[in-house]
Amino acid sequence: MKLNIMVVDDIHANLRLLSDILGAGDYTVRPVPDGNLALTAARSVPPDLILLDIMMPGMDGYEVCRYLKADARTADIPVIFVSAKDETIDKVRAFSAGGVDYITKPFQAEEVLARVRTHLSIRKLQHHLEEKNRELADALDQLKAAQHQIIHQEKMAALGQLVAGIAHEINTPLGAIRASAENISHATESSFDQIPKIFQKLSQQHQDDFFLFLREAVRNNPPLSSRETRNLRRVLKEELESRGIASAELLAGILANMGFGGDISRFVSLLKEKENTFIMQTAYTLFMQKSNSDNIVKAVERASKTVFALKSYVHYDPSGKMIRAKLSEGIDVVLTLYHNQLKKGIEVIAEYEDVPDILCYPDELNQVWTNLIHNAVYAMNGSGKLKIGISQDNDFAAVAISDSGSGIIPEIQEHIFDPFFTTKPAGEGSGLGLDIVRKIIERHRGRITVESRTGETTFKVFLPKQIVAESQTI
Amino acid sequence: MPKKAILCVDDEEIILNSLRDQLQTRLGDRYIYEFAESAGEAMEVIEDLASEGTDILIIVSDWLMPDMKGDEFLIRIHRKFPGIVKVMLTGHADESAIRRVQEQADLHRCIFKPWTEEELIGTIISGLKKNE
Ligand SMILES: Nc1ncnc2c1ncn2[C@@H]1O[C@H](COP(=O)(O)OP(=O)(O)O)[C@@H](O)[C@H]1O
Repeated sequence: MKLNIMVVDDIHANLRLLSDILGAGDYTVRPVPDGNLALTAARSVPPDLILLDIMMPGMDGYEVCRYLKADARTADIPVIFVSAKDETIDKVRAFSAGGVDYITKPFQAEEVLARVRTHLSIRKLQHHLEEKNRELADALDQLKAAQHQIIHQEKMAALGQLVAGIAHEINTPLGAIRASAENISHATESSFDQIPKIFQKLSQQHQDDFFLFLREAVRNNPPLSSRETRNLRRVLKEELESRGIASAELLAGILANMGFGGDISRFVSLLKEKENTFIMQTAYTLFMQKSNSDNIVKAVERASKTVFALKSYVHYDPSGKMIRAKLSEGIDVVLTLYHNQLKKGIEVIAEYEDVPDILCYPDELNQVWTNLIHNAVYAMNGSGKLKIGISQDNDFAAVAISDSGSGIIPEIQEHIFDPFFTTKPAGEGSGLGLDIVRKIIERHRGRITVESRTGETTFKVFLPKQIVAESQTI
Repeated sequence: MPKKAILCVDDEEIILNSLRDQLQTRLGDRYIYEFAESAGEAMEVIEDLASEGTDILIIVSDWLMPDMKGDEFLIRIHRKFPGIVKVMLTGHADESAIRRVQEQADLHRCIFKPWTEEELIGTIISGLKKNE
């Protein structure tokens, strides 16, 4: 297709001359006799280039050019000014109005064609460049989207590994809650039968002893482990026997289940009653109502801790801005979620120094801790020591995560941060964990180092305490 | 008459607390109830009881525990004490672990947390019958 050139001049002879020159140069020429018409014509069908006379009645060339440049539809069209023989061109005005070149009369046909050709090819190159830029920007957007997708999948995979453990983590307190609630309900019913008998059978003094004993039993005794309970039962049994109390074994069992570590001597008289087992069973039924309620409260706390950790883990700030957060909080969230995998045989040693809150993307840092802890647990094959330290290092907050696992052989140390590098069997590792970790840390203007030998591998993350907020997202 | 015991193994205090009262309430003083927080502790309890001449009738064990998983624990118990009835009570166990206990430790039943009282007591009673 022929390129399209508009020539604007109020003098017909000039129009014809330029049209002839350009027509010979194989261009389509659109002669226009005044500025206003030129603007309208250029807006409806933008030409590839405009030759513009300066001195015209009404709107002069400078003004026409300024209007062309001010309109998005025509702003990109190169304008070459043409000045008449008897006028001196004001070059500064010409360029500042937006012209790319000028021609003064008298001119040679070759000169006009050469300049027109030059500017057309510059324009073509410019177009080409713009198009390439657009393509690049599109490609970049697509890459970013793909990367987001991969990061998201990694995050979900890490979460998936946690879900099984979390099922256990939630079902355990639920089990305890249901059983305790059923226990309370049975105990309440039994109390209805037992209490009146207590009042019938016991003297006033022993009734007082009975309630005194109960009050002591429900007073917050420290919870005992199963082993401590067994020991207490043994001690109590001997003591009761030595005091000549009947059914010592059964009573010792009840007292130990109450965690009764107090002084028995005040209750010897009560415990020597003929129906001492009934009395203690009644006390235990009442005690159960309190202890099972306490158990429910504990279970609820456990469950809410897990739910809270889950919520914090997927915490996402849609504003995309960095926020101030405590490093230790994020790490603890991840440790809570990993509780199940860790408790199987990994000793966690956390040493947190006080470091100021830092500006960060907390959910991304959670992903860093998750990946590093996950790798550590994997390397220890389920048992060993996991050390997590937070400290200050000049302008940085440093988080060190060490494991007592297999270590990373020197030959592969420089590759572990490469995307898709993994030594795990197919299906277990994507090889993206550490790549993502490094990207997230770089986004925080931090860095990560690794030191490893058999039995001790330490990843150390340095995050600047004062970070210049960066709005760009990966 | 030798005493008879039921042993529960779970690393969660809240579970043992609630089990203790559930068993006591529903099964009363006919049995002794013992509790252990890990497979290792359970082994000690078993040895202790055996040396006292107490028979363990049933072991109710969690699956996910710190020192040894429930499947491995129950399989070991089975090798030494094939007569003890084995029940798993768990919040989560993978299928293959359950299958292993079924095949190698004659698992009586696997109950999932949160369990109901009827489920647990029913399972224990049916397990005890199996033993008679
Ligand atoms: N704590 C560690 N101990 C030993 N090797 C590790 C540790 N962390 C990472 N690695 C090595 O680095 C490799 C790459 O890790 P990563 O990028 O997280 O991907 P993936 O976990 O999917 O393999 C791992 O396959 C492993 O060989």
